[in-house]
Amino acid sequence: MKARKVKGLDPDGPLVDNMRRVIVVRIDELFGFVPAALDPANVEDAHNMRIAAKRLRYLLELSEPLFGSGAKKGAKVVKGLQDTLGEIHDCDELLPLVDGFVGGLRAEDAAAVVASAPPGAEDLDPALSKDAPHRSRYRGLELLMVHTRARRELLHARFVQEWQALEERGFRDELESALQPAEPVPQAE
Amino acid sequence: MASARDIPGITLDATFREAAASAVEVRADEVFSFRDRALDTGDIEGVHDMRVATRRLRAVMEIFAVCFPKQQHRRALREVKELADVLGERRDPDVMIAGLEKVAQGLAAADRTGIRGLEESLREEQAGANERLAAMLDRIERDRLRERLIALAVEARLG
Repeated sequence: MKARKVKGLDPDGPLVDNMRRVIVVRIDELFGFVPAALDPANVEDAHNMRIAAKRLRYLLELSEPLFGSGAKKGAKVVKGLQDTLGEIHDCDELLPLVDGFVGGLRAEDAAAVVASAPPGAEDLDPALSKDAPHRSRYRGLELLMVHTRARRELLHARFVQEWQALEERGFRDELESALQPAEPVPQAE
Repeated sequence: MASARDIPGITLDATFREAAASAVEVRADEVFSFRDRALDTGDIEGVHDMRVATRRLRAVMEIFAVCFPKQQHRRALREVKELADVLGERRDPDVMIAGLEKVAQGLAAADRTGIRGLEESLREEQAGANERLAAMLDRIERDRLRERLIALAVEARLG
């Protein structure tokens, strides 16, 4: 996901002002994925929200010397979100991988079963399938998919709960009001 | 996981470009400090640390993009992204295999066979990724990425 462009950055301007400008855009970006990412079926927005969280987290960590404990606390919360979304993403990556692997086994087994049929057979004897070379592998892989689906469901529900708790406590306001310098900016002479 | 080093140029009285220069210097140095450990297949944390350091470098290059000469920045950022991708291909199977192991432990012994097969296939892919990582690290050394990153920092400072 491409980051939203931040307008008005000035390389010769104060770091603190420029960083504040970038952080405000990245906060907006993160919150922009809600409500879409709260839908358990919306894989893409959950993935994009994770990337937005990662960008904001690095930015807040980097800004700690500027904005002090507010940035530190914010980074910690955003990291928590990023971690949960990361685990959801791992499930979303694993499911098609297992599915593809099982598909490959099925294709190999089908080829082996066809090869074991007598030459000129008009139909396939169902008994030949019991000797399919990968027959002992399917059950564990199906259980792995069941586990991964169930885990994804549970993690997503946890993510929704975490997000709702953050909204209730006014996390966005908390983050934005943390963007004050940690100590007075020294005046130029 | 190695924690990020402090960046001396991130101060309240710094300009954006001073901080940009300092951030790229520190983060680039971090990435290259993990070079040898990343290729050691017996040390799974080495590749992870280099990947995290690469992400941090990429983050500062994106945050401070306006402070760098456009063309050189674009080229270096593209190469940092490529490095991050190959590190990901090398690292992701470690995480997946650890997850599969956890599930396998919870199943009856007879049901573990299929999962072991998947682990084996992931390990084969990982061996290929390790070769690609070695080639990528050689390439960025040959193309002097580190020196070009330092040059970017110098350019940012000069303005």
